[in-house]
Amino acid sequence: FLPGDTARHHRAVILDLLQEALTEAGLTSQDVDCIAYTKGPGMGAPLASVAVVARTVAQLWNKPLLGVNHCIGHIEMGRLITGATSPTVLYVSGGNTQVIAYSEHRYRIFGETIDIAVGNCLDRFARVLKISNDPSPGYNIEQMAKRGKKLVELPYTVKGMDVSFSGILSFIEDAAQRMLATGECTPEDLCFSLQETVFAMLVEITERAMAHCGSQEALIVGGVGCNLRLQEMMETMCQERGARLFATDERFCIDNGAMIAQAGWEMFRAGHRTPLSDSGITQRYRTDEVEVTWRD
Amino acid sequence: MQAADAGAGGAAGGAESQDREGGHGLHGGAGAATAAAGGAPRVTRAQHAPGPGGDATSTARRPESRLHIFVLSVPFPSPLEAEIAHGSLTPDAEPHRGAVRKELTVIGSVLAVRWKAEDSRLLRISIINFLDQLSLVMRTMQCFGPPVSR
Repeated sequence: FLPGDTARHHRAVILDLLQEALTEAGLTSQDVDCIAYTKGPGMGAPLASVAVVARTVAQLWNKPLLGVNHCIGHIEMGRLITGATSPTVLYVSGGNTQVIAYSEHRYRIFGETIDIAVGNCLDRFARVLKISNDPSPGYNIEQMAKRGKKLVELPYTVKGMDVSFSGILSFIEDAAQRMLATGECTPEDLCFSLQETVFAMLVEITERAMAHCGSQEALIVGGVGCNLRLQEMMETMCQERGARLFATDERFCIDNGAMIAQAGWEMFRAGHRTPLSDSGITQRYRTDEVEVTWRD
Repeated sequence: MQAADAGAGGAAGGAESQDREGGHGLHGGAGAATAAAGGAPRVTRAQHAPGPGGDATSTARRPESRLHIFVLSVPFPSPLEAEIAHGSLTPDAEPHRGAVRKELTVIGSVLAVRWKAEDSRLLRISIINFLDQLSLVMRTMQCFGPPVSR
């Protein structure tokens, strides 16, 4: 996605969408308590396109503004939908890969990717193999992987609490054409092998964090969380530890506005307010920068 | 805001179709229709600081550099609406912060924006992006305004 095109899209649809939301909910501006919007992280131009509308309606209606961290949006929606109380969170999407656990008013990052997100790795792999983007590259990789029969050995790159994916991607970009040409394996075998490798890495770093925290709950959020094979592998690990796995369906794993509202509502309840002067969007916004005053 | 309704659409469209080459003036504003009723819209020109041996009133600090300045005056139907636009458009940092600087101030019902840049290409990009955001703010005010009384 190109930032400029995305920003143009958002600017074109946002006002109708806002009006539609109010109409469908049967609410007027007076019924609204506060305006929550995404402060970051993400792409600058699209974030800014939405932020100016949030600031404008907040001022027009004289309502408080809440700048929300996108990652925390995922966590709070995951907690709400699944009922998990204090899970170790695996947040995996096209833009982010983090293992997060709550401790003393912060969502602490226990482990993360040191280069690209796992979803980014999967998407770019799909491009190499010319796999369709409809409905999404990740979904199509998942379906093809089910038909894979051979496990091809790929680099396994867990680095302590962290993971790395750019090495696997370069390896597979290099090897894929060669291996397919010689008939050593099929595209389905490569999809299968990539999933097994990267998901095992994610399960490992999640398990490490759970062991550190003595956690009995795991929660998967983010678009890659829709993947049933990942959920299956996480479930196996959790069962071995006597822990419970929580996961949501594609309505709530994938980026959604409601998750920003949910996190915004928690923040509002706890007394957070974002002054205009502080409301600028930011492309880099660490999950642990936010003071989570709404939890003990 | 009824006057602004036709005005905003026209002004935004007008602003975008104006020729920006060679630093021609640009005018825009939610209240173009209102401005026409109340007085002439303000047209401002980009000024180029000339090189060595140029105008004594040039703003160049070093003889070798050319500092481009672009000024935009956007009239709104009221001081409150100008303040709201200011509040919405100020917080996000300029991407090429070192290369392009812009300053927004409210004077009465007018939002005044002043750009300073050495690179004319980056300046042009900044102005275009600003106009897109400004247009969005104006459309938001049209759809969800007028502001509630304080």
